[in-house]
Amino acid sequence: MLCEHCKTREATVKYVEVINGVKTEHNLCSHCARSVDIGQYSALFEGEFPLGRLLAGLLGMQNAESGTARYDSVACPNCHTTYKEFVQNSRFGCPDCYSVFDPLIGENIKKLQGSERHVGKRPKNLQGQADEVGKGHGTAGFGSEAENEAEGFQKLDAKERVLILQARLKEALRREDYEQAAALRDEMRGLKEEIKQDGEMV
Amino acid sequence: MAKWYEMPGEPASNVIYSRIRLARNWRDYPFPEKMTAEQCKELVDRLGAGLRGIGALDGTKYRFAWLDGMAELEKTALIERRAINRSFSKKKEAAGLILSEDERVSIALNGDDHIRIQIMEKGLNPLSCYERADALDDYISDRFAYSFDEKYGYLTAFPTNVGTGLRASVIVHLPFLSRRKNFPSLVADMGRFGTLIRGVYGEGGENFGSLYQVSNQKTLGQTEQEIIEIVKKTAVELDNQERRLQKEAQEARPLAHADEVYKSYGILKYARRLTRKDAMEFLSHVMTGVVNGILKTDGACSIYGLMVGIQPANLLSMAEKPLNKEELDAARADFLRARLPKIRQ
Repeated sequence: MLCEHCKTREATVKYVEVINGVKTEHNLCSHCARSVDIGQYSALFEGEFPLGRLLAGLLGMQNAESGTARYDSVACPNCHTTYKEFVQNSRFGCPDCYSVFDPLIGENIKKLQGSERHVGKRPKNLQGQADEVGKGHGTAGFGSEAENEAEGFQKLDAKERVLILQARLKEALRREDYEQAAALRDEMRGLKEEIKQDGEMV
Repeated sequence: MAKWYEMPGEPASNVIYSRIRLARNWRDYPFPEKMTAEQCKELVDRLGAGLRGIGALDGTKYRFAWLDGMAELEKTALIERRAINRSFSKKKEAAGLILSEDERVSIALNGDDHIRIQIMEKGLNPLSCYERADALDDYISDRFAYSFDEKYGYLTAFPTNVGTGLRASVIVHLPFLSRRKNFPSLVADMGRFGTLIRGVYGEGGENFGSLYQVSNQKTLGQTEQEIIEIVKKTAVELDNQERRLQKEAQEARPLAHADEVYKSYGILKYARRLTRKDAMEFLSHVMTGVVNGILKTDGACSIYGLMVGIQPANLLSMAEKPLNKEELDAARADFLRARLPKIRQ
């Protein structure tokens, strides 16, 4: 079937609209579908890779349906990307966004990707780093609050401490303990500044 | 030095080339979208400096270029050769490109992600492309710690790349299959296996040259090898179906089939003006003729290399002066007359 709009390309998009019980059907090519206003679904036809926009489409629909718009202002403490921004762009601002928005979009990532857990390659150097962090701690209590006072923590270098704080921040966010998360974030920021300054001196 | 796309491909196959792309981000910075102009410059500076010795890894010569130091024409020509993508070329902030001499390897710095490693190779070789990307990836991660999460794997700006950060693609030539009425539904069916098929040079009837790209849709929850295997299998299946249709056409209407191939060759060999659309379509017929043995060229050749060469920005780069539409079509015909392989009668 040809696109009802341009009448030259094959229609690949079928758009059914039901308004007050009246059903209208449109058959469009993806090119014309992009220019026709079909609300949040338009997002599906923009961009280089349609799948990326699919997520925005899914979330946009959910927002409209279930009133999750109240999460719009949830922001990543690190890069300040808001949930609303994410829904619009399908794009995260920083690695922390994954843990911040996980409760809101984890299900959708699972739907989109058909899985929620990575099983492939791991960075070669990651193992080494984790081991080093583990040495001063014992892995069992990783992330517990008492450890903050532990001498071992202060002995670690700043980068390793950031790593640990990151893990704790993630944990705090999971528990929805935002006060603790904010404190951890500030501590991390201070440390990052330190690292940066050290780096500049070298 | 010859570019990778100028190398002869596999004889008697509709598979043109394979491509692997890995998306990675450095843990020290937010993703590119949220970086300040200073951070962008600093990131590219540090990555560029840290990866200066990358050529020692496999004895390949690389050049480093800042994106803003490139002319628009050069950027467009790089897009046509697929060394970079459009969204990278439009980047306003600091960005850099590490490109191997044969353009087989490109590492885009501060595009949609901090680091995007791309490898392209003729033929059905996604696994060997991946092995090379994997080695480069290890080299980079030894120097720069990646954003990696136990649950989500390699963290990327778009959640559609998260996990492996891998996009595996195989590009196939499907002139007969794509002309079939049921092609769109075939494409949709393939989607169920987790692959995405789309035109390389445009959608629907505007994909002149009938080149199609098969890529994985999902990046999370499957190993790199599994992803590559799915893409490879889909490409092989499409190649088989295309082959069957070509064989049927050759058996049912041998004269018409041969005529289409030879006529196209004749036009490309003698025309004085060729639009992009015409050139791509005739090259597509010649490609079919070479694959199923109707046209016997003197030595191995790369028809795909010609398809790349006749794209506007590449012709304009060669001309080294502005050309109007007619001059461009003339330059395209000149280019093809000079390079079309000789055939044995």
